[in-house]
Amino acid sequence: MNAPITAKILSLNNIEVVYDHVSLAIKGVSIDVPEGGMVALLGANGAGKSTTLKSISGLLTAERGEVRRGELQFRGQSIGGLMPQDRVKLGIAHVLEGRRVFEHLTPDENLIAASALHSRQDMNRNKDRVYSYFPRLHERRTVASGYLSGGEQQMLAIGRALMTQPKLLMLDEPSLGLAPFLVAEIFQILGRINRDEGLSILLVEQNAIAALEIVSHGYLIESGRIVMHDSAAALKKNPDIQEFYLGGAENKNFRDIKHYSRRKRWLT
Amino acid sequence: MDAISLMESAANGALIGLMYSLVAMGIVLIYKSSSVPNLAQGSMTMLAAYVVLAFANSAGAPIWAAISLAIITMFIIGLAIERVALRRLAGRPIIMILMMTLGLEIFLRAGSMTIWGGTTRPMNLGISDAPLFLGPLLINRAYAFGAVVTIAMFGFFVMFFRSRVGVVLRAISDDYTAAWSVGISVERGVALSWAMSAVVATIAGVLWSSVQGVDQSLAQLLLKGVTVAVLGGLDSIGGALLAGVLLGVVEGIASSVLDPLLGGASRDLVDAAMLILTILIRPHGLFGRHDIERV
Ligand SMILES: Nc1ncnc2c1ncn2[C@@H]1O[C@H](COP(=O)(O)OP(=O)(O)O)[C@@H](O)[C@H]1O
Ligand SMILES: [Mg+2]
Repeated sequence: MNAPITAKILSLNNIEVVYDHVSLAIKGVSIDVPEGGMVALLGANGAGKSTTLKSISGLLTAERGEVRRGELQFRGQSIGGLMPQDRVKLGIAHVLEGRRVFEHLTPDENLIAASALHSRQDMNRNKDRVYSYFPRLHERRTVASGYLSGGEQQMLAIGRALMTQPKLLMLDEPSLGLAPFLVAEIFQILGRINRDEGLSILLVEQNAIAALEIVSHGYLIESGRIVMHDSAAALKKNPDIQEFYLGGAENKNFRDIKHYSRRKRWLT
Repeated sequence: MDAISLMESAANGALIGLMYSLVAMGIVLIYKSSSVPNLAQGSMTMLAAYVVLAFANSAGAPIWAAISLAIITMFIIGLAIERVALRRLAGRPIIMILMMTLGLEIFLRAGSMTIWGGTTRPMNLGISDAPLFLGPLLINRAYAFGAVVTIAMFGFFVMFFRSRVGVVLRAISDDYTAAWSVGISVERGVALSWAMSAVVATIAGVLWSSVQGVDQSLAQLLLKGVTVAVLGGLDSIGGALLAGVLLGVVEGIASSVLDPLLGGASRDLVDAAMLILTILIRPHGLFGRHDIERV
């Protein structure tokens, strides 16, 4: 798809979320995802990444979270008041942190369960598509999903989200706990889906190295605030970011950087 | 105690056990669809029986019409329970939801008593009480009829949980949040499971009433239902069926052997022993899902 770079599929303007009516988890987050784009939201543990995604997919309510302030727009439409299933219907898919496959269902049934909004014909077509991206799921389609490996479960979680025919795919730390070669494989497939189908992607990661390889832009969130926003190339060159993940071993992530949260130079 | 009468106890016990399975099936249905153990199944069964009588006696409908109307009424009551009592609890700790079902149990029982009073009333389905022989064994026709209906319901629900809607309900019971994330209306799924369970309660209520009349004691079927559901594995329809037969046979034999010695309480003792032993020895029951632990 060749949408002009200015068209936004998702736009968060000054979003503020509180849990339990008191604890402020994110404090004025603004993020744009361009139509057909691929954007990363990076940050340490507890920075507010998952909360940001839940505010978009509408999954805060069950956790007694609430968007207290700000504007959420999907393709120009305000979605703040919609139920989760209505946001899915609009084309917003949220791959949850920790994969959260339906463990007692087979991969095939996981995909069927995610087709509640679609005709049988669409479901079968979507299943074929998911299995062609993830052939391993097809091989394992009759095993209880709880017995799949971590990588297979992550593929299933992504495949399950694709069954809803999203326009925007949001992924919460898909690399968590996976071997680097699997991360590379999964990210490469995400890149392919993004290119081939024009699916817009918002990728939440602590693993900045891997994420910045495939996205065009990135946001950095710290203590509930966006502290940096730039192109992936610029972020990779940024001395602060470099210090965190180019200093030593590959795959180092924010969690490992002890002094990271003390640095507030970006907060100006 | 001769062999024939022991076999007779076992055979009738198996049929009674299948009727326990029907109560258990209502519990399993809800558990399989939302991971909530429903402690109101007993009083839903009792309420349904009173509703049938209300249509039959007050409105003067023929019994089969009254049953059909009661099925519709109970379906709606099931939906209403989700809407009023359970919706705002979705995603809350299971213990709160469990206590809510206990509250419903008490409310429905007390409510029925208030409306219809405590006297036992008959429900006549027109099943003849002429003797029915299976070889040399004398079989109770009402139990046999109940067993056949139960097996039909079993077949229906096994098919149902393989259907698309059934898969969606099983997904909800696995993970509410994940279900929401893929566009499943968790609320509607839970409501459907309660509505179906209320229909099962109606059928169980009718069958049990035809055997023992309509009164408060129908609510005590909860104990049988819970025992059978736990023994079978809370989320297994087939488990509920087999566990019902097992409990019925053991009860039947135990009561014909032990009642002369212990007085009438041996059935309840068998029940309690089954429930306690299952939880101690095999908490996921005969066929229940394990919590999957990956190696
Ligand atoms: N359900 C919840 N109830 C209360 N506080 C929460 C809840 N979920 C997250 N938080 C708090 O919100 C902040 C952001 O958390 P989260 O969005 O999960 O961060 P991240 O995904 O970046 O690790 C943290 O301080 C966390 O403790
Ligand atoms: Mg998180």
